[in-house]
Amino acid sequence: MIKSIEELKQIRDKYKDVLQNREAEENKIRILVGMATCGIAAGARDTINAIVDEVHKENINNAVVVQTGCMGFCYAEPTVEVRFPGKSPVLYGKVDAERGREIVRRHVKKGEVISEWVLKG
Amino acid sequence: MPLRMELLVCGGTGCQASNSNKVLEVLRQGIKEANLQDEVRVLMTGCFGFCEKGPIVKVMPDNIFYVEVDEESARKIVAEHVIKGRIVEEKIYKEPKTEERLPEQSSIPFYKKQIRIALRNCGKIDPENINEYIAADGYMALARVLTEMTPEEVIDIVKRSGLRGRGGGGFPTGLKWEATRKSKGDVKYVICNADEGDPGAFMDRSILEGDPH
Repeated sequence: MIKSIEELKQIRDKYKDVLQNREAEENKIRILVGMATCGIAAGARDTINAIVDEVHKENINNAVVVQTGCMGFCYAEPTVEVRFPGKSPVLYGKVDAERGREIVRRHVKKGEVISEWVLKG
Repeated sequence: MPLRMELLVCGGTGCQASNSNKVLEVLRQGIKEANLQDEVRVLMTGCFGFCEKGPIVKVMPDNIFYVEVDEESARKIVAEHVIKGRIVEEKIYKEPKTEERLPEQSSIPFYKKQIRIALRNCGKIDPENINEYIAADGYMALARVLTEMTPEEVIDIVKRSGLRGRGGGGFPTGLKWEATRKSKGDVKYVICNADEGDPGAFMDRSILEGDPH
């Protein structure tokens, strides 16, 4: 039985991120991972799961991870695009699980674009 | 492992009548066959309100709203959207006048002018999991009332809020609570009447089914 407001708040905070995916509609940073055949063949599934895990571990609650189709950069898969609301998107190429985690820690969390991994069209 | 995708299947009566239980089963089966059950979850939520276009399946965080999903298109949603990230175009709501496909719930004219207050959790939380309700700030007001406020303060704030009953009479809630507090008797009973006698009136039932706590 819940006996105090503190206890209730603890439960709320514990389960808060259960709803994070479902509150993705407005004003959130979107991390898009290319998950077409080319992406999957290049290991995008490991990348996306690493990114989801890192977002969770770093307690980032203003970002969601979304998969997308092929963007035409098959040679540079897995590709990851980071979109801050109101800013132009940044597209990274050849993002393996480790790069994915670093993009979360540096770009998504601290706003630092990692220019050496940015894909130039 | 945290989930990266959730498929919210409408479990409202309208959608269930148009076979959303089977759609849920097909989606779950497909996700299991693709061995994605640790990354992608399928759950049944309360009513989305758009029963005429049901069964509704909403994919989050992609924010894609599918309408009139049957077994065949459920299989396609798994094969195309869940596995490959490609939207199943033909199951996106089509605006009848412009014939434009509108993939986001909030851009569909039916939802555009709505602000959901009492129904805000319907179609968002798993109604059978109390922790999801608490995560959406559920019971927070009650906890404050019980631990920080006097009965008089509660009545006063409800009176000033302008809150009214949701039936046709629209009786002011604060006045009702004040009258029940003033009435004599040591034991008082709360009787919750959630019956809907009007044909086609689904508001209370939608809350009880979709956000029951």
